[in-house]
Amino acid sequence: MNLLDLARTTSFRLALTFLLLFSAASVGLFAFVHWETKDFLSDKTDEWVGREIASLQRLDAAQLMTRLKQSELDPGTTERPFALYDPSGRRLAGTPIDISPETLKLAVPSDFMATVNGKRRQFRGRVLARSGGNYLLVAQGLHEQGEFDERLFDATLLAALATAFLGLVGAIFLGAGSMRQIDNITRATERIVKGDLSQRLPVGKGSGDIDRLTHVVNGMLTEIERLMHEVKGVCDNIAHDMRTPLTRLLAGLERTRRRAEALTDYEEGIDDAIEEIRGILKTFSALLRISEVEDGIRRSGFVDTDLSVIAQDAVELFEPTAEERGIELRYVERLEGPATIAGDPDLLFEAVSNLIDNALKFTPAGGQIEVTVSRASTGLSISVDDTGPGIPEEEVEAVLRRFHRAERSRTTPGNGLGLSLVAAIARLHELDLVLGKTGTGCRVTMLHPASKPVRQT
Amino acid sequence: MSTVLVVEDDEKTALEITAALSDNGCSVVRVDNGRAGLLEAASTSFDAIVLDRMLPGHMDGLGLLAALRAAQIETPVLILSALSAVDERVRGLKAGGDDYLTKPFETLELTARIDVLVRRRRTTAAETVLRVGDLEMNLLTHSVKRGGQTIDLLPREYALLEYLMRHSGQLVTRTMLFEEVWHYHYHEQTNVIDVHISKLRRKVDLPGSPQLIHTLRGSGYILNEPA
Repeated sequence: MNLLDLARTTSFRLALTFLLLFSAASVGLFAFVHWETKDFLSDKTDEWVGREIASLQRLDAAQLMTRLKQSELDPGTTERPFALYDPSGRRLAGTPIDISPETLKLAVPSDFMATVNGKRRQFRGRVLARSGGNYLLVAQGLHEQGEFDERLFDATLLAALATAFLGLVGAIFLGAGSMRQIDNITRATERIVKGDLSQRLPVGKGSGDIDRLTHVVNGMLTEIERLMHEVKGVCDNIAHDMRTPLTRLLAGLERTRRRAEALTDYEEGIDDAIEEIRGILKTFSALLRISEVEDGIRRSGFVDTDLSVIAQDAVELFEPTAEERGIELRYVERLEGPATIAGDPDLLFEAVSNLIDNALKFTPAGGQIEVTVSRASTGLSISVDDTGPGIPEEEVEAVLRRFHRAERSRTTPGNGLGLSLVAAIARLHELDLVLGKTGTGCRVTMLHPASKPVRQT
Repeated sequence: MSTVLVVEDDEKTALEITAALSDNGCSVVRVDNGRAGLLEAASTSFDAIVLDRMLPGHMDGLGLLAALRAAQIETPVLILSALSAVDERVRGLKAGGDDYLTKPFETLELTARIDVLVRRRRTTAAETVLRVGDLEMNLLTHSVKRGGQTIDLLPREYALLEYLMRHSGQLVTRTMLFEEVWHYHYHEQTNVIDVHISKLRRKVDLPGSPQLIHTLRGSGYILNEPA
């Protein structure tokens, strides 16, 4: 793990930023507590000094002297000194504490420095001028307060260190976690780039943003893999479907070359070749047609198209074929009013023809095919029902793929592109193509959701 | 012999078209740009024009067509185009084209269509009865008789037979039938048209009488007077 990389991870940076913000806020809070406490303590001192001065003023000279003597004898009073000075600042009586002459001018409670037992200490107090030129000092030592300050500072420092340590460890932990995930994702991506499309990005346990992203990317990868397989499948199928007729063509031409004697033999050989090539061209045309439809250029040529006319024409076109195979082909209409949508009539007709042609291929003699145009609450629809074997559930998706042919239909003519074309035409017209099994066979529906009746409000 | 003007800039395509039309018994003049095409069409009387839609230079196919029609030259025009969309086709026909063929096409499809265009020009008189051999179609009463015997036809069968009779002696491709009789434009790949024709044939070509409707393998049909 590279430290520089770690510093670059988003989670590490975020954690560090929050650590700094939190520290700044804490320092502010401690400073506030410190000042407030100090203020409070000073106020308390001032209050006490005031009370003391007031009570001293009520005493006469003798009583005052007694009090001064008491505090002179009590060594504990150095914390709350009480002494009398002459105008030069010399102590006359009271607590043994030496002050500078300036201190005698303190008529309101203030901080000052004084010497007690040879030590310089900070005090807070005031001086009362007595009649007779002497000065009386009442003060309180600030030693305790200083100690409190020191402790508060120590505590703050300790807390700050602990916070910084924990925060850094947390940031490294988080950063390392996301770095590991990103390293994993990078490795997986590199494998995918190298061609292993079955790889997926590793997904963590959480529902974090990276995990959400990996889920989306994995979904995309699945889709890409499917498409790649489909493209490969289509290529394979084209190659396969072309090889057979091309081999036949080659064999036919070689045979003609070898055996033909009369001109008619050659003519026959050429005719066979032409027929074979026509079939190959047919498949290519069908493929190109699907992409042409998928390109959507034809949407510009949309006109109002009556689905019932399309369906009737298609049924009529296939009637003789159905009759020949002993299948009943019927047109059914469940409509009130017109069945008009914006569309390309040629393409819609081609789609319906393809569906009927498919149904004819799969329906045994004696069966029935129904082409229905109806208007329901879901919109206009055109569907083709047959009494064939139906499409098995698991094949529903596959049949829309290019070149797919049901196993049993490998021998029937066709290139397996019919339904793909229908699907492309349906998409172009914003029709939903629904394949389903009915009790008696298969139903393919093209539903036009846009023609859903508008609710009257 | 009919004369056809081919306006096509692509050498290979032009060569194929010229060869196919010559083999079909036409004399062909070929130019490779719109200006030359207009000069040629204005100075000589052609029976039909094969016009590529995309042409180099200032005058494309539709421009040439518009200029021709503006000069009241009514020679039938078959438009060739790489664009197959419906509105493209409609635009081509609206500009004064008589038929429209999408590239790539089979030469047979082209020559069959040119035959129809040339012939259409020669028979403009309003007919009320079509006759081919002993087959007779009354266009007013919609009745069809063969050798005096009435044949009952469904509306679509009637339309099919009418088209075949109007173009008797000419090759009619499946695509042409599909476009003219069903009025949908795409290359129908299945054999439905064949089934329709064979049904019609069963009604028209009764056993014992000479065959009128002939199939040309892989290409289409032809309604011929018996020799």
